[in-house]
Formats: sequence, structure tokens, C-alpha cells
Amino acid sequence: MKKLESNITNMAVVLTAIAIVAGGLLAWVNNVTAGPIEQINNQAIENGIKSVILGDRDIKFRVEDPTEKEGFVFHNVYDMNGDLLGTAVESTDKNGFGGAFKVMVGFDSEGKILGYEVLEHSETPGLGAQAGDWFRQKSGEVQEQSAVTTLLLGAPGKPGNHNIIGMNPGDDLMTVSKDGGQVDAITASTITSKAFLRAVNAAYKAVFGYTAADGVSGASSQN
Amino acid sequence: MNYFKTIINGIVKENPTFVLLLGMCPTLATTTSAVNGLGMGVATMFVLICSNTFISLLKNLIPDGVRIPCYIVVIASFVTLLQMLMQAYVPDLYKTLGIFIPLIVVNCIILGRAEAFAAKNNVLASICDGIGIGIGFTIALTLLGFVRELLGNGAVFGYRIFPESMNMLVFVLAPGAFITLGLLMAIVNSVKNRKA
Repeated sequence: MKKLESNITNMAVVLTAIAIVAGGLLAWVNNVTAGPIEQINNQAIENGIKSVILGDRDIKFRVEDPTEKEGFVFHNVYDMNGDLLGTAVESTDKNGFGGAFKVMVGFDSEGKILGYEVLEHSETPGLGAQAGDWFRQKSGEVQEQSAVTTLLLGAPGKPGNHNIIGMNPGDDLMTVSKDGGQVDAITASTITSKAFLRAVNAAYKAVFGYTAADGVSGASSQN
Repeated sequence: MNYFKTIINGIVKENPTFVLLLGMCPTLATTTSAVNGLGMGVATMFVLICSNTFISLLKNLIPDGVRIPCYIVVIASFVTLLQMLMQAYVPDLYKTLGIFIPLIVVNCIILGRAEAFAAKNNVLASICDGIGIGIGFTIALTLLGFVRELLGNGAVFGYRIFPESMNMLVFVLAPGAFITLGLLMAIVNSVKNRKA
């Protein structure tokens, strides 16, 4: 077949036809995948609630329908006797290194952090993207390394304190240590760490009304 | 036309990263670890094969005057398709690679191969070209990611080899990508020159 000539009719018709076919195909695939994608997102939220409130504990629980306020989403979690186990809060900070940073944080009734999950982020892989694990590694817990490396290079350096589980943003100053706070930032990812801690503090504030970091972050933002 | 030769051509003689120097943006941005490089390579290969096939099929229907917009619509459609399918059926892989997938649209390897190869050759040859270039790109990205992860994070495919204190952070950051790419290209060229 001979190639179509580049006159205005041919060009308009072909480009329009291709765009319509492509649009139709995408609409159809979007339709097919919308269900599974929503299911996966709901599943992720459900798993998140379970993980940030219960951790490793295996008890039956009941989640109240979520409530929404000023961009935060609250999930109150009760045990089977109707006692409040804790509140899981979805909180987003817009100023991560690569964009919005969304976490879910679980607080008990006194405001102690039970757990957290990173829900969405656009941080650098290998650096800021470590936030999912970094802030729950216990002090003194070291990255695993082989016996040969230890023999050749000695034990790894003492890690700082960056485990936030069990901290209470109402009593503990939850900012990076560079700003005088109690949490060590991820190596070379201070912006990510700050965004993460802002999201955690904001989540706490949304439930309990104040944080220990209020005065400090207020002062530093004027610098 | 020898189809096998077309595939090998894409991997060695016209390796998109080390020889043609195409698609540098995703190459430098995504290769912070070997797994990321591998995933990006495979995703790009999928889009490349699909777009090569369709553009080769449509080549006589598309007037020259609007060929670039038409190619881009075809490529962008496949990328969006891939993104939705990955999100729905392989959510774990999507979580790791999610932010890289839209980058494939602006990958000039795909548009380059559509223009330089698929628009001039038959469907089978175009598929082979897609496979060859795709494999070549995947190998290059994985190699780059492997070196950067090893030097920058002290790990290989996520398994720690050196302790954290020995990491050379610069290799995970952008400058390390340029340094690693330059050195790998020097090695590839020196091997090629010795053969010739």
C-alpha cells in the first residue's frame, strides 16, 4: 500500500482517528482496572490500620467508619469490649523531597505512637524512600552484615536514635536532631525526614490539639 | 533480513545507553539500585515492543506531516495502559516503580526507534528491534544500578555486602550517576576497540 499523502484532510482524519481509538482503549482499560485498583487501595488502608494500631498483637478488633476533618482521615479502632484501642490518622505533608508524603500514624488514647505506615511517597529510592523502615528501627539495632565484613572492617558504627514507636508528640520534641529534636534524620535525607515528622506531628495535633514541637517549629519557620 | 541479527544489533552494536546515548533522563534518574534499573528496563521494553509493532503496522496509514504526534499518542497510550495494569495486578512492583512509569513517555529511545526503525521496516523486524533494544537498555540500566547500589549503598539487589559506614553516598545521588555512566562507557568502548 502506498503511503498516505500529507494533505490537510488526511492528516486531520488520521490523527483524530488514532486519538479516538487510543482514548477508547484507555477508557475501556480504566473501566476494567478501576475495581481492582480501588480494592487494593482499600486493602492497603485496612492493613495499615491493623499494622499501626495492633502491631504484632493478634486480637480481634472493630474499626469505626472513618471520619474526615481538614484533610486528615481518622479511624477509631475498638476491641470487642468496646474499649478504644487507638486512633489511626491519615496525614499528608505536601513538602516531601519529591512531592506529597502521606503516612498513617496510630496513637493510643494518651497519644503514644503505636505504629506508622508510609502510604504514599515520591522520595528518592535508596535515600528518602527508607522512611518506611527507618523510623521504627530501634536504637542499637544495626543493619545486618556478614561475619566476614565484621572481621575485615569491624562492627558497624553505632546508629542514632530514630525509633519513634512509643514516643508521644505531646511530650517529646519530635523534630530532627539538627533542629534540636529527639529524632535522627535519615542519612542524607533531611527533607524527607522533616516532612515525615511534620506529618506525624500534624496527625497528633489533629487528634489532641497541640504538640511539643509547636513552639520550636513556629520559631524556626520565622528564620 | 536476519531477525536474530536485529536483536543482537540492539544489544551490542546499537546499545541505546552505551552507544546511541539515548534516554539519558530515565537512565540517570532510576538506576539508584539494581532492582530499579531492571524494573525500568523491562517496563521500557514492554512499551517499546508494543509501540514498534503498532507503528510498523500503521506506517503507511500515517501521513508524514503528522507522524510525530501520532507516534506520541500511540506511545503514551501504551504507557498509561501499562501503568493501570500494573497498579491493578502487580501492586507491589507498581509501588517500587510507580513514579518511573510515566517517565517512559518522554524516553527518546522509544520515539527514536519508532522513527528510525519501525517506520521503515516490517512488523516482525520491528518487534525484533524492540526486543533487542529493550534487552540492551535493560542490561545497561541493571549494570548501572548494580554499580551504584554496590558503591553507594554497599548492597547488591538489596543484600548488604559492606557495612553502612563504608557507603559512598555520592554514587546514589545524581553526580554518581554521571561518573558511573562515564566509566562504564569507557570500559565498553575500550573492549569494543580492542576487538576491532
